[in-house]
Amino acid sequence: MIFVLVFLTVSAMLLIGNLALGVLEKKSVQLAYNILFLIILAGLSLAGLAYGMETTFLNVISINPFSLFFILIFSMGMLLVNLLAYSYSDNYGDFAILSVFALAGMYMLSMSNSLITIFIGLELASLPSVFIILLSKKSVEAAAKFFIMASIAISLLSLAIVLFYGGSGSLSLTNTAHSEMLVFGAVLFIVSLGIDASIFPFNLLIPDVYEGAPAYVTGMLGGLNKKLAFAALIQILILAFIGYRSVFDLLAVFSVITMFFGNIVAIMQKNLKRMLAYSSISQAGYILIGMATASAAGLMGSLFQIFAHAFAFIGILGVVGWLESKNIHTIEDLNGLSGRNRFAALAMSFFMLAFIGLPFTTGFVGKFLIFLGAASAGMAWLAILGIINSVISVYYYSRPIMAAYTGENRGVLKRIKMEKPVVAAISIAIIITVVFGVYPQPLIAVAHNAAVYLLRT
Amino acid sequence: MLPFLLVFPLLLAVALIALLRSSSLPRYLALAATIASLLMLFFIHYGVYNVGWFSIGGAVVGFTASITPVSLLLLVIVLLIAPSIFLYSFGYMKKPSEQRRYYIEMLIFEAAMLVFAMSGNYITLFLAWEFLSFMSYMLIGFYKEKASAARSARKAISTVLIGDIAIIAAIAVIWTATGSFSIGSIPSNPAYLLASALLLCVAILTKSAQFPFQEWLPDAMEGPTPVSAFLHSSTMVKAGVFAFIILYPLFSAAHILYLFMIISAITIVISTLGAAKEMQIKRVIAYSTTQELGLMIFAASIGSITAALYFFLVQSFYKSLLFFSSGSVMEATGEDSLDRTTGLKENRIIYITTIIGVLSLAGFLPFSGFFGNVGIGSSVSSFWVYLFLSVIGFSTSFFIIRWIMLASKKTENQKTKLAYRKMPKSMIVSMVFLSALALLSSAAFFYIGSFLSGSAYPLQGYISALGIRSYDIVIETALALLGLFASYYAFSHNKKISGRLVHMIHNSDIFNALYTYFADVLLAIASGVAIFDRFLSNGFEDIGRGISLSGRGLRRFAVGDINTYVFVLIAAIAAALWYAYALGVIK
Repeated sequence: MIFVLVFLTVSAMLLIGNLALGVLEKKSVQLAYNILFLIILAGLSLAGLAYGMETTFLNVISINPFSLFFILIFSMGMLLVNLLAYSYSDNYGDFAILSVFALAGMYMLSMSNSLITIFIGLELASLPSVFIILLSKKSVEAAAKFFIMASIAISLLSLAIVLFYGGSGSLSLTNTAHSEMLVFGAVLFIVSLGIDASIFPFNLLIPDVYEGAPAYVTGMLGGLNKKLAFAALIQILILAFIGYRSVFDLLAVFSVITMFFGNIVAIMQKNLKRMLAYSSISQAGYILIGMATASAAGLMGSLFQIFAHAFAFIGILGVVGWLESKNIHTIEDLNGLSGRNRFAALAMSFFMLAFIGLPFTTGFVGKFLIFLGAASAGMAWLAILGIINSVISVYYYSRPIMAAYTGENRGVLKRIKMEKPVVAAISIAIIITVVFGVYPQPLIAVAHNAAVYLLRT
Repeated sequence: MLPFLLVFPLLLAVALIALLRSSSLPRYLALAATIASLLMLFFIHYGVYNVGWFSIGGAVVGFTASITPVSLLLLVIVLLIAPSIFLYSFGYMKKPSEQRRYYIEMLIFEAAMLVFAMSGNYITLFLAWEFLSFMSYMLIGFYKEKASAARSARKAISTVLIGDIAIIAAIAVIWTATGSFSIGSIPSNPAYLLASALLLCVAILTKSAQFPFQEWLPDAMEGPTPVSAFLHSSTMVKAGVFAFIILYPLFSAAHILYLFMIISAITIVISTLGAAKEMQIKRVIAYSTTQELGLMIFAASIGSITAALYFFLVQSFYKSLLFFSSGSVMEATGEDSLDRTTGLKENRIIYITTIIGVLSLAGFLPFSGFFGNVGIGSSVSSFWVYLFLSVIGFSTSFFIIRWIMLASKKTENQKTKLAYRKMPKSMIVSMVFLSALALLSSAAFFYIGSFLSGSAYPLQGYISALGIRSYDIVIETALALLGLFASYYAFSHNKKISGRLVHMIHNSDIFNALYTYFADVLLAIASGVAIFDRFLSNGFEDIGRGISLSGRGLRRFAVGDINTYVFVLIAAIAAALWYAYALGVIK
């Protein structure tokens, strides 16, 4: 009870403070304020996780291991995105206000226990995102496409909710009824949330949006908004449809086609950011494998992978944003990067290796848990398809690394520097990726608790 | 000491090379790190070492190192050859811009092989295996500006990729059947056992370049010569043979040893013919490597693991020596064809070391290749198998001595003469070092039996001391001499290159028909694999290109793009709803 009040108060202070500071137009103060409050929020969620907090507040807010896990991801992720935006965005003040509103939506969705709050949370998170994309004058097309995606998603989601209500007679997620209408509802849930979660074939606009948006926004969209859709999908499917094996089989089919689509198309990409967009689609496919098992082991893998990919993705987009500001867009342009900025080359290679699944990075542990979960749930074929995909992905992830460390420098031989907040954000992402890769036990425990909590209720 | 610590100096060197901007320091760091690892080998003891990593629901996932005489043998081989490889690279890799990447990749490659040698569970084994594949891909395609290098690297990786997928599937099967990642675990269910054994068989055949996957190895010559020397002697291709030996109990239980026997025999025939036909030095040696790998697998599959392991040991030394020789010859002459790389006598030391390498491979008496052949021959009981091995022994002697005959012809080219005399010291020192190892390893013949049975481990029951029969000595020597005479008659310096026998060998209908016959019949079987191979290397790109082209086309018409999107979306929703309805999901 007190925990919830403290949490809500801090969140409200973050929101109001940003509005006030936005008026004052003091960039650095606002950044410091945001960092402070986001650290407090992340710390609160960590404390909640450590004590195994499980309470409900006013019947709409539910604090549990699952919600706290996502609150942790969103707080930390938003902190990194703030650091990036501070350096890259022309009007950080506007970004901060909008991002805090999006964050409020993410919190609401994480803590929801009914479809109404999920609906509002998703809406609250995606509308500010449209305007965040629009902050950059060049990204109008991307913003328009994202807006179209979001509106289709939201309308389909409402349709799904209607079907669900018709079938179960309640908007609460815990559901015991069985009817045809509910199955159609489940399919529409997958489709509507799959648009943001970049499930093939609902993801066809995603690469355009990710490529068109400024890099730090892409980091937010791929690192946080996409994970938000997954949070909603996991909650709905596990809580309401756990008895429907075929819904999860459908998810398995989607996971396979999503992985293959993402990986195969990524091979041919020349633009680094577009390649990363397709790579994040394939990563979504791995996450779906774990969900399709509908078991604690697989779900734990998915949650771990969500955590792993969120930070690695924001981290690499930090590097890409810096490259973009130096007018480096394609993989070929990367030639000789290590001679110009060692840190950028090293960080980029590191994140690429983490995406491949290098041991002692979170990328490896996440994939390992997912594949093991699939194998132990009797879906070894799904695990093998996943591994085939991660072997394919070596093709395109290794190309930027090879380019960065060989080849003559085509551009000016001058060394170029990186802004301090960007270095900080990238370093935090690297530290998270390494620490939980070398010592994954705490994160595994947290993910396990979250998965068990969902399966229990 | 924990065996995994062996890779620590190597990884430290990698980190230092990556962090320091210098292009002169990496070579010294690499050499020092390898020597440090070699010295640390003295503190390694037999035993099984577990390193827990994390646990899921009570089951601990971690790395296991299992140090047995067999793994120690491989560790010693790798750590003796690696320093000479790095020393040779001092002189061979001269461009400052390529230094850092080369040494980083080579050190990781070496570290992966060390971990592979000591792996005691499938997690460790698979990780090392993957690193070997990935680093060999990077190293074969080292000169990535060259189109042929990129193509070879793609060919290598797409062949090896089949093996990677096979091994992971095998591990999944074994884990499902036994619930354990330990290498000793053998599924008791016959179906699972057979499936896992066949999958592992595919993995081993791809890694060790055996039929029908043998073609990637000769093509992998596009990398720098020290890389080839390393790849052929102690790392990568040896990993397949080594995996075969440590997983021997599993294959034995699954009764598929005869499969290995047939496949390795086919490989031996194809690659012997290939080596005799080929005129490019490095490709000749590469074909001889696939032949020798075939011999090792053949020997192990007929039950003489000790002979296979001894051959495994000696082949490493003289094979890397031969690669160094060929690298030096090519460096001096600027040519890569057997009949144009002449003037070897200009540098006495290179001449002598090359002769040592060639005579070892040919199987002359005091040289290690002789003992390798005799070890295998003396464990054969069937006459026909013995005859087969004898024919192969003769052909090997013939095709490799040909090189000496041709290379020792005088050269008129002043530039070549100068290049021979000015060969970098480091290259010569490493060649002398390796020829000493190649000579010394002969003596190991008499000790390997007791060394391999020196400690208790699963394979111990299969180990026996190597014997030598007097008529083996006579026959083996006679075969080698016969090869020498045939070669001399055909290629000696008194005769012109278009001598009668040479002509017969290289242009005759009989030989070509023979080769074509074998090649056609056998490669017809392999073409099924080749199609898959092509699909992997080109197919993905074609599909990717198609999809991205259509994506690019669509992007130009932004409005059309969204229309298509909505259309696809509706179609997909319809399909998913139909699925939900048609499959009767409602219970």
